[in-house]
Amino acid sequence: MSQTVQTQTNPAAQSTAPAAAPTIAIRKSCNPDGIGLSHYVLMDKKAAK
Amino acid sequence: MTVAELDRAAAAGPLLPVDIGHEAYAAVTDPNTAFWALVDKTRIAESTAAGSPLAESFREKADSFARELHALRFALTPSGVYLNPTERCNLNCTYCYLPGQQRSEGQHMSESKLIESLGKLREYFRSVMPEGRQERKPRAIFHGAEPLMNKRAVFAAIEEFGNDFAFGVQTNGTLLDDEAVDFLTSRNVSIGLSLDGPVAGITDATRRTWGGKSVHDKVLTAMDKLKGYGSWSVITTCTTENLPYLTQMVELFHAHEVPTCMLNTLRCTLPGARTVKPADGDMAQAFFAALDRSHELYKQTGRKLLVANFANILLAILAPTARRLMCDISPCGGGRAFFALAADGSLYPCSEFIGLPRFNGGNLLDAGGVETALKSDAFRIVTARNVDQFAPCNDCTIRHFCGSPCPAEAHEMNGGMDKIGAFCEFYKEQVNYALRLIADGKANDYLWDGWDEGTDTTFLMQ
Repeated sequence: MSQTVQTQTNPAAQSTAPAAAPTIAIRKSCNPDGIGLSHYVLMDKKAAK
Repeated sequence: MTVAELDRAAAAGPLLPVDIGHEAYAAVTDPNTAFWALVDKTRIAESTAAGSPLAESFREKADSFARELHALRFALTPSGVYLNPTERCNLNCTYCYLPGQQRSEGQHMSESKLIESLGKLREYFRSVMPEGRQERKPRAIFHGAEPLMNKRAVFAAIEEFGNDFAFGVQTNGTLLDDEAVDFLTSRNVSIGLSLDGPVAGITDATRRTWGGKSVHDKVLTAMDKLKGYGSWSVITTCTTENLPYLTQMVELFHAHEVPTCMLNTLRCTLPGARTVKPADGDMAQAFFAALDRSHELYKQTGRKLLVANFANILLAILAPTARRLMCDISPCGGGRAFFALAADGSLYPCSEFIGLPRFNGGNLLDAGGVETALKSDAFRIVTARNVDQFAPCNDCTIRHFCGSPCPAEAHEMNGGMDKIGAFCEFYKEQVNYALRLIADGKANDYLWDGWDEGTDTTFLMQ
């Protein structure tokens, strides 16, 4: 049995494209001094002072 | 051209799309510079086309990002040392990277030799750590085997060199009595414990004494002693035995006010570890459930439990130079950001190699000491491992967020330094999970407060 699906067109939806998700890009930089490895870690540098 | 020149020549390459499994966003990355952006997944071509704001802004910065990454990967000098003051351990853990005979019958380093060694290490670090940055002491971490099996020597060394090094101790916690806790905390020594299960039955599957006794309750007691201290953490090594219980581990750690934990994939360097290696997909599923639970607990209580190995992946994405762990980068930190001193005085790129004699770079107390070891073939085979130069990593869009750890297990388990590490697919999933969190504005919830103090923002679109 075949079935015909009727679609209704909404004129407002037709003319309004969805807003694009805004681009996200972040990069920060600092002096590298990490020495942790999987056997030990100290994440917060302040804790070592 | 040198590798560095090739890297720079390739800067500002095309931005490559990555499906991160997000409802609205896809990632685009420039693998050579570890640059990334999240763009509308239905408009990738438009977002990255020549002349687009993203493409133009990236093009302007690409060379400086390439230089930054190159410096991080190839221009560091060591600023830390991992000290093995004894070969012996009172536990016989399934996955240990140190040979069983060493741990059961091995030797302690004598107190006098440890003191002499630290004197020589102080001299070395003074020669390489820049003037004007003396607020940053070199790090010296006792671990092993079980460092507190040789407690007298360790404590004498901390007492003698407390002004010269920022000390840490990674211990199984079984010998951490009140006196030891008082000694270490009063000197601001960072303390790491290890616990593999939320209940004894799970911990005991992989961490027991040589006689088969449980140590679970002793570790819990040590955790209680450290509650409120500012600088401590607990490592859980994830295996087939405890994977279904990672969410409960997070609940236990949060309840005990553990500030930082690691939920590590086990290292498969020695064959014993491979008997309890979880599959990548299982690891990812359990790990993300644990991260989700840590976030729920944070939202409920306002108190974070930092999962450091995941936080480091976030850092690798948001601020590559702010990484704290130097496993997830290529070349890894072994033999260049840090090195390891074995109990017999031998130097290795990392303690992970101590059971593998071919990676012995010579004795610290011999002429040349650290400098000779750093230049040795034993070290160079590790420091030369470069994900840009072997497949499949050299085609991977996230290779500089991951680094394909670990060289020791790549060499021993997979057959060479030009092989991948043990958990390739898990790392890909971790990076996708991290990028989804960034897309949803949640990344800071998984990092310590103030994590970006002292950083400069070098790129921002949002």
